[in-house]
Amino acid sequence: MAIQILLGPQSPTANLKNAIELLSADGPVVSITAGWRDSEAETDELQNAIGRPIEDLNLYHQAEEIFAREPELHALQRERQDQLLELQRLYRVRLTSGMIAARKLLRDKGGSDLLRLEQRAAISQVRALDRHHVQRISATHQSFDKRRAMLDIPSATSLQQSLEQKLRQSGLVLIAGGHVAVLINRIRLFRLGDVLAQKPIIAWSAGAMVLGERIVLFHDDAPQGKRDAEVLDAGLGIVRNVIPLPHAKSRLDWSSRNRMAMFSRRFAPAKCCTLDSGSMIHLENNRITSAIQSSVILRTGRKKPVTAR
Amino acid sequence: MNPIIQSLYRDGAPAPEAIDNFVEQNRFPLIEPGRITFVYRGQAKEVHLRSWIAGLSTAQPLEPLEGSDLWALTVDLPDKSRFEYKFEVVTNGERQLVLDDLNGVLAHDPFGANSVCQGYGYRRPGWTRHDPESRSGNLATLKIASRAFQETRELEIYLPAQFRRNRSYPLLVVHDGPDYLRYADLKNVLDNLIHRLEIPAMIVAMTHSPDRLVEYTGDERHARFLSEDLLPAVSAKFPLLDDSKARGLVGASLGGVAALHTAGRNPQLFGQLLLQSGSFVFSDLGHHKQEPLFDPVAKFVNEYRNNPYALAEKIYMSCGIYESLIYENRSLLPVLQDQGMQILFEEVRDAHNWENWRDRLRQGLTWLFPGPLWMVYE
Repeated sequence: MAIQILLGPQSPTANLKNAIELLSADGPVVSITAGWRDSEAETDELQNAIGRPIEDLNLYHQAEEIFAREPELHALQRERQDQLLELQRLYRVRLTSGMIAARKLLRDKGGSDLLRLEQRAAISQVRALDRHHVQRISATHQSFDKRRAMLDIPSATSLQQSLEQKLRQSGLVLIAGGHVAVLINRIRLFRLGDVLAQKPIIAWSAGAMVLGERIVLFHDDAPQGKRDAEVLDAGLGIVRNVIPLPHAKSRLDWSSRNRMAMFSRRFAPAKCCTLDSGSMIHLENNRITSAIQSSVILRTGRKKPVTAR
Repeated sequence: MNPIIQSLYRDGAPAPEAIDNFVEQNRFPLIEPGRITFVYRGQAKEVHLRSWIAGLSTAQPLEPLEGSDLWALTVDLPDKSRFEYKFEVVTNGERQLVLDDLNGVLAHDPFGANSVCQGYGYRRPGWTRHDPESRSGNLATLKIASRAFQETRELEIYLPAQFRRNRSYPLLVVHDGPDYLRYADLKNVLDNLIHRLEIPAMIVAMTHSPDRLVEYTGDERHARFLSEDLLPAVSAKFPLLDDSKARGLVGASLGGVAALHTAGRNPQLFGQLLLQSGSFVFSDLGHHKQEPLFDPVAKFVNEYRNNPYALAEKIYMSCGIYESLIYENRSLLPVLQDQGMQILFEEVRDAHNWENWRDRLRQGLTWLFPGPLWMVYE
């Protein structure tokens, strides 16, 4: 049975230990803290918090070392990153106008059938653009994988096998938050998605985001003004039909019903679930079995507590 | 008349107890949308509001309120405005500048304190205050043997929380650094913006000049001090990113001139400039109208205006519309914009003071040094 527990930020309220006790998994605990980048090795605090030894996969630094040793792989990786950046830029250009139109129509108080149809069509256009973006990104990843398979890099293959082995032997995997793009990049680089799907996982913040089918970036209170939520990438797809929203309390503009309604309708049927500090969502075989301090955004823009389904 | 004062006078001249209640129960000045009423209580021959707002008379008389020791003046004031003031009280032929006793909101600067008038809708930004959740950076001192000044200069260095020697950091050099720390809450601002990922963790070198009226007015020694003394010394001591985009200069008033001048003498060495209410005195024809100390400033600014060039990658400029320097700042803006640099100019309903400069730091710093908050979910 596939079990995952999604948590919110571990500060100020840490509930990782509670989640571990809930799972009562045997075997070694392996962590992925690549989202911490340079601080990846600093897992002492984490070990102290859970009171058990942890083996970190060190994905961020392992990748840096391989890139330093294997310039061809590094160049290929760089090329993929450049393409992803450019795709994101192009997507953003189209997204901005689509979101302006959709929001304007949602603000219209007319209430006629004509208006409702156009509102629905405007949101559909944004949804289609999101889908298109994920397809373009997936094609970039596929092209990378194909070209990488042609590179004969024994050290990379052996490292990948060793990482997979550690994961297989583990009783529990912890995926920490941090830089979400770096985190998904490293997990994808070492192709660990399939093994992870078979393990009990506790993931928080960015860690929870990468488990979903899509990674959605959002911040309504950024210093240079609100930004429209963006799809960054496909996630690992281990958790289906949930868009995890860490720091939702501070990052989302709950005062704007239209904005929140748009958020919900844009990503439906996936449920946009808040993950603030203290939140916990427990899933078994992609079914939410319990949730604490997490809300789902409704298509009206309101929210209600996440419940088991 | 302000409705609260109207209410006080509803039944004629108020009794002393009613005046006591009025003073105790209200916050002063009395704020309404679009206007503000200053109140002074005391015996005097004349009372004036001294506000040093460009465009308004520097001294406006308060009127005595009948049958009381109250004085009042109502002025129109756009919402969210902020400025500093004192009362000039004339008694027995003596003129004295005093703080507004009824207003506990004070702003401090190197010359002392002023009362602060906060117009309707103004709120001090939360990110300027100490936030117990924000990890605190540390301040250290660094002594530099300056070849430019032929003496040892002491800097304060801000190291971000969780500073690591094995990482590389952007460097911000702040003119009048101790004043920014003391009067513009710079440490709180840095701690909060870094903690909230709105700017990257950075090292901040805070300079202090023993003679800013000379050294900050286009002094070649100061430009050399920053580029040839300070930068190598800080680089040798701390891990810095070797990229002009990761180096910035900050300055307010004459500090803004010093920052612009240093960048002008070392184009593209400092990629990011944050210039607040810069004293960019110039003259299109003839001599400028300011004091002689501005002669070297006008010489430099005139030179730059005649032969402008790109001296940084991005420049954030701000200026209060209640300060006379708004003219100089607005005049410099198109010259800078035409050089292909990215410029963000912000005009605010505020005056030439440290709280104005404090309140602009988030906008400036996050624009020049955007943090990773869009991608980081910890």
